[in-house]
Amino acid sequence: MKLFGLIADNILRNPVRSLLTILGTMVLVFVVTLVWSILDFLNAATATRTSNFKAIVTERWRLPSQMPYSYAATLKEGAAREPGHIRPRDAMCWSFYGGSLDREKRTRENSLFAFALEPPKLLTMMDELDSLPPDQHREFAEVVRRLEQNRQGIILGRQRLEAIQKRVGDRIKIYSLNYRGIDLEFEIVGLFPPGRYDNSAAMNIDYLTAALDAYQRENGQPHPLADKSLNLVWLRMQDTAEFDRIAQQILTAPYYSNPAVKIETASSGIATFLEAYRDLLWGMRYLLAPAILVTMALVISNAISISVRERQVEFAVLKVLGYRPFHILSLVLGEAILVGSLSGLVSAALTFSVVNYVVGGIKFPIAFFGAFFIPSQALLWGTIVGAATALAGSFLPAWSACRVKVTDVFARVG
Amino acid sequence: MAQAQPPIVVVEDIHKFFTRGSERIDVLNGLSLEVPEGEFLALMGPSGSGKTTLLNLIAGLDRPSQGRIWVRGQEISSMSEGQLAGWRTRNIGFVFQFYHLIPVLTAYRNVELPLLLLPLSRAQRRRQVLNALDIVGLSDRIHHRPGQLSGGQQQRVGIARAIVTDPAIIVADEPTGDLDAKSAEEILDLLCELRSSLGKTIIMVTHDPRAAQRADRVLHLDKGRLTSEVPSAVS
Repeated sequence: MKLFGLIADNILRNPVRSLLTILGTMVLVFVVTLVWSILDFLNAATATRTSNFKAIVTERWRLPSQMPYSYAATLKEGAAREPGHIRPRDAMCWSFYGGSLDREKRTRENSLFAFALEPPKLLTMMDELDSLPPDQHREFAEVVRRLEQNRQGIILGRQRLEAIQKRVGDRIKIYSLNYRGIDLEFEIVGLFPPGRYDNSAAMNIDYLTAALDAYQRENGQPHPLADKSLNLVWLRMQDTAEFDRIAQQILTAPYYSNPAVKIETASSGIATFLEAYRDLLWGMRYLLAPAILVTMALVISNAISISVRERQVEFAVLKVLGYRPFHILSLVLGEAILVGSLSGLVSAALTFSVVNYVVGGIKFPIAFFGAFFIPSQALLWGTIVGAATALAGSFLPAWSACRVKVTDVFARVG
Repeated sequence: MAQAQPPIVVVEDIHKFFTRGSERIDVLNGLSLEVPEGEFLALMGPSGSGKTTLLNLIAGLDRPSQGRIWVRGQEISSMSEGQLAGWRTRNIGFVFQFYHLIPVLTAYRNVELPLLLLPLSRAQRRRQVLNALDIVGLSDRIHHRPGQLSGGQQQRVGIARAIVTDPAIIVADEPTGDLDAKSAEEILDLLCELRSSLGKTIIMVTHDPRAAQRADRVLHLDKGRLTSEVPSAVS
């Protein structure tokens, strides 16, 4: 502790150089924090849970999954058909309806992609929406109630609403891209709570089903997707034993032969979906992140090397005064670690605040995730990354500083 | 009178050589010396004569290639580097020609540096630092950084740093070499005062005959050997 004052004074020795080193470290910690936040989120999403988890039922052999909606009723029951069969705790069916607000001009801004589902399931089966704080839950439950009562209703995420420049209560018409010939008019009945669903939309499945019926009435034949309108079924399981039993019930059921279905845990399903991004994620994890860490270490190493070279005489003087090599090693490493950890902490704190509260998450659409948020653990990562890379980068310069030979240094000075 | 004291430094037949490539450079050749406690000794000689090397060996900054050195009864020539570092803190005060103060630290913090290695409380350190700065007459400059002090004042801070641990021996390598005549005189007065008032043994390397005249004894070195021993006229 007695040496801490010396360490702090030395950091202020060359404020410009210290500031540049701090800024360089902060920028690199910022990038590492962004990359790790995405990877951490995806890791959490694909981590296997053992209790109260969800399973996904999809078409076995085709991607994207397109099952007949007639599968929905029995799949929601876990294909329970005999005494002794068990049912999932809850279930939700998803159909995807997507299109553009402008028939002629399709842009990212005017595109809209909605989950068609039973509205009450928004409150019980959707990640994060099933665990809202009481105030938000009450508010969102009212929005869900409006969607349930108004078959033509649609709930939008805040950023999507902003992108299409509409307000709650406005009416919109979507020219469908996947359900060609089924263009639907909607009334915006409310918004998703801020966060994960900022770019999402949800509609009432009854509206899509009715539109498919109307299509058949008007055209004399069913819509090409009429028998393929069930994309995913989510089932909530108590534990892995329950999952195994229900999976067995579904896989042995006679109802799902054409097309066949498969069931997997949500984490496994998401991991399968992320296979498409495997190379990108591999590059982020094993190339980008390490490259940034090495660059950080080199930036710090460079700054500390210059400082050590300039202070050779000082180190020699300290040795004359009785300082031992480990004292000098501690001084140099201490400076680097202090700079690194403070820069890392400040950078992570700024990243956490700005990305989460100002920017509204990292816009990196992948899988079902529209935006990623910086977890609070990033404050710890940032500090540790800053300190560890500083330690790695400064070790060689610190070692050379502590090996300074007094008589050689003063022979040169004299 | 100083000659009557027992020797505080005993140098016995020391040799020191360096190698540069395959070439061996002999700096000290079988030099022996005794320095009585409380003596002010000046070492003179041409460049390369070995006087700074001898000073470094006595101060425990280097070890002889051959021969033995005792300081205050302890044989320092056989100590490890770590032992020497601890020994220096308590026994040796070093004064440099170019002061070598740490520019980002105030006079107070520069003087405090050796005390950080000792098991002292903050209050004890403060007392010793203020006492040392008072002895060198810089009580009113404790918060000044080296850049805000004159050369003479910086050297006084250097001397305060050398005496703050109350060492028995002060070694000074051309302490007046970078100073004007007036400041040099003041520094020499201060060194004499340290010897007479505090009983410090002072070993000083100098090129300046006027500085050497202030010592009790002047030793001349040439090619690593003592060539003459002259009692100072002034002392």
